[in-house]
Amino acid sequence: MRIPCPYCGDRDAAEFVYRGDASPVRPADGEGFYDYVYLRENPAGPMREHWYHAQGCRNWLVVVRDTRSHEISGAVMARSDRP
Amino acid sequence: MAEALRIIQPGGLALAAVMARKGVDASTIGERLGLTPPTDPTAARNPSMTLIGTGPGTWLAVGEAGQGDWVAGLEATLAGIASVSDQSSGYVVLRFSGQGAGALLQKGAFIDLDPAAFAIGAAATTVIGHLGVILWKVDDAPSFDVALFRSYAKSFQAWIAANAGGQALPVSIA
Amino acid sequence: MSRLAAGGLIDRTRPLAFSFDGRRLGGFVGDTLASALVANDVRLVGRSFKYHRPRGILTAGPEEPNALVTIGAGARADPNSRATTASLYNGLEATSQNRWPTLALDVLAVNQLAAPLFVAGFYYKTFMWPAKLWERLYEPAIRRAAGLGRLSGEPDPDAYDRDHAFCDLLVIGAGAAGLMAALAAARAGLRVIVADEDARMGGRLLAERHEVDDRPGADWAGEVAAELASLGARLLARTTVFGVYDGQEYGAIERLTDHLAAPASGAPRQRFWKILARRAVLASGAIERPLVFSGNDRPGVMMAGAVSAYLNRFAAAPGRRAVVVTATDSGWTTARDLLAAGVELAAVVDARDAAPPAAADQARAAGAEVLLGARVSAVAGRSVRAVEVAASDGRTRRIACDLLAMSGGWNPAIGLGANLGARPVWSSAIQSFLIETPPPGMTPAGAAAGHFALAEALRDGARAGSAIAADLGVSAPAIQPPPCSDDPRGVAAPGPSPASKSKAFVDFQHDVTVSDIELAAREGFVSVEHLKRYTTLGMGTDQGKTSQLNGHAVLAEATGRPIAEVGTILSRPPYLPVAIAAFAGHHRGRDFRPERRTAGHDWAVEQGARFIDAGLWKRPQWFARPADGDWQATVNREVNTTRGGVGICDVSTLGKIDVLGPDAATLLDRLYINTVSTLAVGKARYGLMLREDGFAMDDGAASRLAEDRFFVTTTTANAARIMQHIDYARQVLWPDLDVQATSVTEQWATYSIAGPQSRSLLQRALPELDLSDAALPFMGVVEFRWRGERARLFRISFSGEMAFELSVPAALGDGLVRMLFDAGRAFDAAPYGAEALGVMRIEKGHPGGGELNGRTTAADLGMGRMMSRKKDFIGRVLAQRPGLIDPDRPALVGLKPVEPGARLRAGAHLVDLADRPTAESDQGYVTSAAWSPTLGHSIALALLRRGPRRHGDRVCVHDPVRGADVEAEVCAPVFVDPEGERLRG
Repeated sequence: MRIPCPYCGDRDAAEFVYRGDASPVRPADGEGFYDYVYLRENPAGPMREHWYHAQGCRNWLVVVRDTRSHEISGAVMARSDRP
Repeated sequence: MAEALRIIQPGGLALAAVMARKGVDASTIGERLGLTPPTDPTAARNPSMTLIGTGPGTWLAVGEAGQGDWVAGLEATLAGIASVSDQSSGYVVLRFSGQGAGALLQKGAFIDLDPAAFAIGAAATTVIGHLGVILWKVDDAPSFDVALFRSYAKSFQAWIAANAGGQALPVSIA
Repeated sequence: MSRLAAGGLIDRTRPLAFSFDGRRLGGFVGDTLASALVANDVRLVGRSFKYHRPRGILTAGPEEPNALVTIGAGARADPNSRATTASLYNGLEATSQNRWPTLALDVLAVNQLAAPLFVAGFYYKTFMWPAKLWERLYEPAIRRAAGLGRLSGEPDPDAYDRDHAFCDLLVIGAGAAGLMAALAAARAGLRVIVADEDARMGGRLLAERHEVDDRPGADWAGEVAAELASLGARLLARTTVFGVYDGQEYGAIERLTDHLAAPASGAPRQRFWKILARRAVLASGAIERPLVFSGNDRPGVMMAGAVSAYLNRFAAAPGRRAVVVTATDSGWTTARDLLAAGVELAAVVDARDAAPPAAADQARAAGAEVLLGARVSAVAGRSVRAVEVAASDGRTRRIACDLLAMSGGWNPAIGLGANLGARPVWSSAIQSFLIETPPPGMTPAGAAAGHFALAEALRDGARAGSAIAADLGVSAPAIQPPPCSDDPRGVAAPGPSPASKSKAFVDFQHDVTVSDIELAAREGFVSVEHLKRYTTLGMGTDQGKTSQLNGHAVLAEATGRPIAEVGTILSRPPYLPVAIAAFAGHHRGRDFRPERRTAGHDWAVEQGARFIDAGLWKRPQWFARPADGDWQATVNREVNTTRGGVGICDVSTLGKIDVLGPDAATLLDRLYINTVSTLAVGKARYGLMLREDGFAMDDGAASRLAEDRFFVTTTTANAARIMQHIDYARQVLWPDLDVQATSVTEQWATYSIAGPQSRSLLQRALPELDLSDAALPFMGVVEFRWRGERARLFRISFSGEMAFELSVPAALGDGLVRMLFDAGRAFDAAPYGAEALGVMRIEKGHPGGGELNGRTTAADLGMGRMMSRKKDFIGRVLAQRPGLIDPDRPALVGLKPVEPGARLRAGAHLVDLADRPTAESDQGYVTSAAWSPTLGHSIALALLRRGPRRHGDRVCVHDPVRGADVEAEVCAPVFVDPEGERLRG
């Protein structure tokens, strides 16, 4: 599987570390931490995920992957993916 | 592999990770250095320095160790606009030259090293034979420079020996 | 000898000698092992898996279920090699498998007599009870009786290569369609790779007598291959594409030396290719389907297409008097090939009521009987002697022959097309399954797409290649398929012949018959996937390439459903068997995984260090001396030397990270539970990081080298993880912060100099430095120059002694350790390894891997009060969860045995003395244990319920696996110098 790193280009998935759903946002105050840490959607379809290009540019990416087909429709740097 | 291959370890290199401060762009750094760092995975070169793009706003700077502390000089030059970490000992750099160089590295790297896809000045931070490397193409000999973390040097040497078909005498890495 | 006098693609000027079961035989360059066996009249080549029935060669390709042999001897013996694809070489040694004592007389063939017992699901039904007997009796017995070839049991002596390739178009299969597709794409300027299993490009063109572009098909194929090479295409012969993976990635195995009598020494045997292809053409051709009738597995029964291949390509006649039984026109092509080769054609039996007139006339003119609307009902002879034919008039005829060529139609070879989960779809037009939604980027073409006739295949290949070029934005003139001779193939429905079902084999390799499938259907196994697992249909090394569809047709009939509804199975990689060693390549034995060495590795080797793996690192475990006696004495000596004088330890493997920039302190405050921003320049502080769920993640020291410059250490094990964590924090959580970070683990070689004499040793080594408490107090840091390079000295202790950590650039690390021991000679300094380091940290109650186990909180580790209340940090909120602040949680304590000689062991559980040890009475467990030479008894760290309030209590240390229970006293976790006086000197 290849992941299109916005900086490095298409790379073998083995260069990356998977983290999971990119949607949860760390709460600013004490509320909402259970959901942030533990609650995850499990969609059958496109999902925004955090991947770390550990063996490349060492950037965290938000990768959109279809969980049914592994088809990857895009990737951006996580730091520029603020809602 | 019948093509000629030569592997040397260029001595006397000074290496540093250069990381732009927030909001500082490459051209600002370029003004101080007299060499504009690339904004993509390529290598920019002038007689005193090579800057290899390793990520957004990060570069591996390669210079001559020579006299004085090259990295300290770099740090002073970039004060306030970029952070600098000395990596002169962190990496060993090997130069692979000759017609067999690309074929050997391609055995380990799952990125396209074809001349059309990886021209002179192209660079990549990737994996060769499961070892993390920074790789850049120096000339059309062709020559490739490969920087890898020092502790892996022996494993890399074993990988080279296994894959160079006994044809190139791999260097002993110091 | 059945070698024809002329013809074939063999080189008669280059004879080869080989042996089969010790018999010395001859062949030619260009032969496969199977064709050479055919030419030598060898008909019996193996025994079947379950019944040990005699089997002959069925096919001439990779789909072969029967002719599996062991090639080579000793460590190089390669079991289950398909004789049909193995190139012959001089001196090849082949042996038959699954027979005892010999192939001709196989004692276990009595299994056939018990055949009624060996029904579908036999193993599941019979060997169920008592379960104990399964391991001890049933399985070994079954494994001896059944099965295929055996591994040598010796290490594989060969080397295996690995390579990567990128292309616009990967063509899988170099037959008519594949070559046309490749030509169209290469002429358009695309980067093309053509992979074919065979030693020679051409596919079925090599096996048939067709002309393409007014020359023999094989010549045409050779010319196209030459043109492709001249256009820069990469032609990979002897290369099997075995799998299709996500992201248009293909796995392939190239056999480099398997066809050579004497490979060059060290030359890799096979090469594992990972190919990334923007587009692929699946031109894998078609596989001929056996007919299902009683006795269809007898030696001498062969696929018609294979008979043609042996005659035309290898000039080897598989029999002297042949009967062709067919359900389509393609059997008639073989009839004509037999006549052209001068083999006597006794009869052609066609299930249909009409035959192609010209071919039928030609057969009759040659004296052959033509039986229409007829079927084979039985085969006589252990090896074919005659066939019984149920003629259209209902009468049974017996026709003497020694070869029965059968043709039941063709199945597109779509296995790779189903790798990513696309269900093949039934096509009534070709009476087989096709890939309707191929994997992204793949186009089936030619026979693999159901275009069986040669002209169609050429046209389809050209169309596919041109369409791909256009799709990739390359405009090129359309390529015209060359003219060719052709003949129709026709299609036929799969399934059993109604004339005979007893011992009518569907899966030859796994001995699955029509009645097995019918029984399975009656027992409710009506899904093809269940059928496969219950009957083992298609589970052999051939993965059912010849059997699957017939089996599914039988299931359809047995369950009264159309085959379109029954469907067929998905196929997973590998399409053909791949040696595990080919995947491993260079990475086996001592190269199994990379090894990391510190700068002082060679020095440690010189000192006789024994090494231990710490992740990928090699760390000195201890430095034995002859007088020590055993390792425990060595470790005791190293601890005693350090606590009593001075010891030196390589701590370079600790993770080291530069955290830089104006907001570096802010970021570190959010990572550590304690405050870092208040640290003065030139000072270091111990810190603990939590995960966001509130559990401890890692500990280390943060040193401030300048306002905007921190140097952070991690444990060896967590170095990469913490780098990743820091990058997550600064890129994802707080991208507004102006902070940079990079790993400098490899930049620095670091030695810890510990013990009451450490300062004296260092002062001798570095006379220019002021090492006084005033200049370098506990937790102080100084930067200086050593041999012209930057160096750092930290006054940090892990051992509890006065200690320093001295860092220099790793290139100078070897020089540093030698210098330190030169200076240390006057102090009898000794090196100590990871084991002594571990003992001393347990003596000091520092958490290590056993305590930082992902399930402990800061409070559990006695660091609850380190948690700042004035700032946010990762893990702050969830660390306050009720379960994590429960005062009854197991927390860190020390243990010492009541009986001083007793030994405590890590992993032992703690129970109250009065309780029986059960899961319910469990009070905690020992996380680390060691013999303390300082105290003269065993000590341990443990997590004990309400532990900090139970100092002085006695507990039972229960260790049922390794020894008897030990009574221990609970104490504070710091065993040595609890006041920390030694640190400050």
